[in-house]
Formats: sequence, C-alpha cells, structure tokens
Amino acid sequence: MSPTFRTLRMAQATLRELTRRRGVLGLLLLVPLVFYLGRHDEPGQAIRFASLGLGFAVSAAALFSSVGGREIEPRLALGGFRPRHLHLGRSLALVGAGLAVSALYALLIALDQDVRHLGAVVLELALTTLVAVPLGLLLGLAVPRDMEGTLLLISVIGAQMVMDPAKDSARALPFWSTREIITYAVDGAGAGSLAPGVAHAAVTAALLMAASCAVQAVRLRRRAHMQFG
Amino acid sequence: MVYPASTRPAQGLGETPGDDGAPVLLHAQGIVKSYRRRRVLNGVDLTVRSGEVAAIVGSNGAGKSTMLKICAGLASPDRGRVSVRGRLGYCPQDVGVLDFLTPGEHFTLFGAGRGLRPAAASRRGRELARTLDWSVGRRTLAKDLSGGTRQKLNVVLAALGDPDVLLLDEPYQGFDRGSYLDFWKNVWDWREEGKAVVVVTHMLSRLDRVDQVLDLSPRTGTEATL
Ligand SMILES: Nc1ncnc2c1ncn2[C@@H]1O[C@H](COP(=O)(O)OP(=O)(O)OP(=O)(O)O)[C@@H](O)[C@H]1O
Ligand SMILES: [Mg+2]
Repeated sequence: MSPTFRTLRMAQATLRELTRRRGVLGLLLLVPLVFYLGRHDEPGQAIRFASLGLGFAVSAAALFSSVGGREIEPRLALGGFRPRHLHLGRSLALVGAGLAVSALYALLIALDQDVRHLGAVVLELALTTLVAVPLGLLLGLAVPRDMEGTLLLISVIGAQMVMDPAKDSARALPFWSTREIITYAVDGAGAGSLAPGVAHAAVTAALLMAASCAVQAVRLRRRAHMQFG
Repeated sequence: MVYPASTRPAQGLGETPGDDGAPVLLHAQGIVKSYRRRRVLNGVDLTVRSGEVAAIVGSNGAGKSTMLKICAGLASPDRGRVSVRGRLGYCPQDVGVLDFLTPGEHFTLFGAGRGLRPAAASRRGRELARTLDWSVGRRTLAKDLSGGTRQKLNVVLAALGDPDVLLLDEPYQGFDRGSYLDFWKNVWDWREEGKAVVVVTHMLSRLDRVDQVLDLSPRTGTEATL
C-alpha cells in the first residue's frame, strides 16, 4: 500500500469535517466579503482588505481544524499513521478548500474592479492561502484552545492592517506579501513590485509549513519509554 | 486461571518459559508518574500474556487511565518502561471521535492506518459493530449518535486493525445490559484468539473471570491480585 493512501484518506476526512460545519464555514466566508464591501469605494483598499480577510478566514479554518484534531490524532498515530501523513493530509485539504475560496474572490474582483494586473491579484490570493494554512496549523498546535488561537490571529491580522508596510519590521508579519503584491497589481510597477512579494510569501509559507510539521512530529513522537518487539 | 502478578518473575517480551506457556505481549515495569507534586503511580508493574485478560481497578482518580495511556505510549511516565509485542489498540475513556464524520467514515479512516482498503475497513467495522448489537446507520454523524453508541464506535475503532494488545478504558460506559454482556463476550473471544486484553473496570462482578487484577487504589497498595 502506497504511503500517499493514508495522506489522502486524512485529507478526505479533513475536507468532509470542514465542509459539514456549515455555520462556521459560512461565517468565515463572510469575513472577506464584509472587509471588501466596507472599503468598496477605493479599489486598492477593498482588495487589500478582502485579501487580509481571506487570510484570516483560511487561518481560522486551519486553526479550528488543527485544534479539533488534537484528540483523534494521537489515536490515528497509534493506529498506523505517521505524523507526516496527518500533517500533509490536513494541509492538502485546507489548501484545496482555501484555493477554492480564493478563486471565488478572484472572480468577484475580476467582475467588480478594474485593476491593472489582474493576474497578480489572482496570484496574491493564492499565495495568501498558502501562507494562511500553515499559519493556522501552527497556531492550533501552540495554543491550548481555539479561543486563544482566534484572539492571537486577530492580533496578527490587525497588526498587518495598521502597520506601515514600508517599514522593515513589517516584513516580519506573515501577510506582508499580500499588501506588497496588491500595491503592484493596483497602482502599477512604480508603486510596488511583484518579485519580492512572491519571494516573501514562498519563504513564509515554507517556514511555517516546516515549523508546524516539526511541532506535530514532536507531539506525536514515539515516547522514549515504549519499546516495540 | 489466576496468576498472581506480583509473584511472577520478571520476564522479557515474548519469552515462553515453563508452565505459563504463552508469550508476554505487554510488559510494563516500575511505572512512576506524578502530576505536579502528587504521585499518581508509584512503581506499578503489569505483565499480560497472549490469551490473558487483565483488569485494572481502583477508585476515581487512582490512576487507571494514566496507567493505560502510559501503556499505549500516549503519555510519558517519570520512570519505568513499557514493552509491547505486536499491534496496539486503545480505547480512551473520554470519547475522542470526529463529530462531523459518520461511523462508516471513521472505519475507512482508521482502517487506512492499518492498511485496509475502504471496502474492507467498512466491512470489518460493521462486523465488529454487529457483535456489540449495533447496526451502523449510513448517514448519522458521530455527534448525533447516542452516548452508548458513540462508545461502541470507540470500541470498534480500537479493535479494527486486529491488534494483538487491546487497552480499553471503561469502554462500556452507557452500554445497555445486552450490549454490556456482548462486550464481555467479545473480550472472551479476543482471549481465545490469543490477544492480550487490559480492561479498566468498576464492575467487580466480572472480575472472577479475568486472569489478573491490578488494583491501583491507594488504600490497598499499588498492586493486589484476586
Ligand atoms: N494531565 C493531567 N494534569 C494534572 N493532573 C492529572 C492529569 N491527568 C490526570 N491527572 C490526575 O491524576 C490522577 C489520576 O487520574 P486518572 O484519570 O488516571 O484516574 P482514573 O483512575 O482513571 O479515574 P476515573 O475512575 O475517574 O476514571 C487524578 O487525580 C487526576 O486529577
Ligand atoms: Mg479514568
């Protein structure tokens, strides 16, 4: 049996759980829309806020998923799953769902706004999802309950909204790339540039993914007192 | 048969010495565990052979669940070792299932861990459910199952991959009388099949038929035998 079999089963179960929580899902999908409509008069700001709203929604979904799996994952690990099957399976499901939502918002923006580089907006929404998933997973592993995780997430997104992106320290925030790429997409190459944003998103996503995978592996490690004969 | 666990010499895994015959499948040695300053387990030993049923008894808070988690490798002891031969199956005391999945989806997920194809996992899960007088509905989500049925799901998941060592933490909570008897019938079947079964229980009426009893009550010391 191929090792991807377990990963795919885990992804399938995660996706099912996610899509069946209709209430939570609906409210999360609403966040970017509310942000978007709130700034609808200014295209650049509207897209920026919708993207950060998407980042929040996807991170929150990943956070809830990760906290919700805390009881079952040790049992699955006991029953033949490796930590990486669980981590990769959960990530796949969340990235898939997140990309579907970002496609929806890309469509909305394409129909509703007149942006200079629409392709860059689409790319930015996808990258935001790729950063948001491991961010939510890592938060979910770090906090005791999802309440604490949600509050932390609100701080991160809030900081992202108020901090001046031109400052060097702003680059330490996970969604720095989101604003940077949108500036390029809306105001053109004079105001922002594409490559640093994409690089920032790629590095951030990779680091968060590696960190959450490592924490997961430590959590589910084989305990030192156990000996299997 | 009754084996006084405290008088049995320590043996390595899988050894088959003398008249006992059957190999040791679970061997916990000198388990010590404290939470903050409070000592919960103080040098507890447990040896279970193939074809044996051990009961862990003790008052609330005596450390039964803690002992089982340490045996399952889900918690670390401060001191002591656990050796296991073969596969482990564990049923937790508090229900840990996925609320938004159906029982059938649980079977395929847990079956995947044991290398079972979805159809095979589903068949095996339904078979096991039937032995507990439960006919699995197709659409009910785990969160909407009755308390006793959810616990049956938990037992089925523990037994799904045909484990050699079964650790069951008060698995029959909320079972009706018929299911409770069915559960014990399962336990005796597992014993016949040569599995090592550990059951945390308060039901003293069943203790006459188990092979050994580990009593964790502080009053009676750390270990006593029937
Ligand atoms: N994670 C924990 N942190 C602190 N204390 C704990 C923890 N887990 C268990 N304890 C304490 O350890 C003691 C033993 O708990 P345990 O759950 O093993 O008891 P038990 O014998 O299974 O009881 P019950 O019959 O009620 O299920 C209790 O006093 C409990 O409060
Ligand atoms: Mg207990």
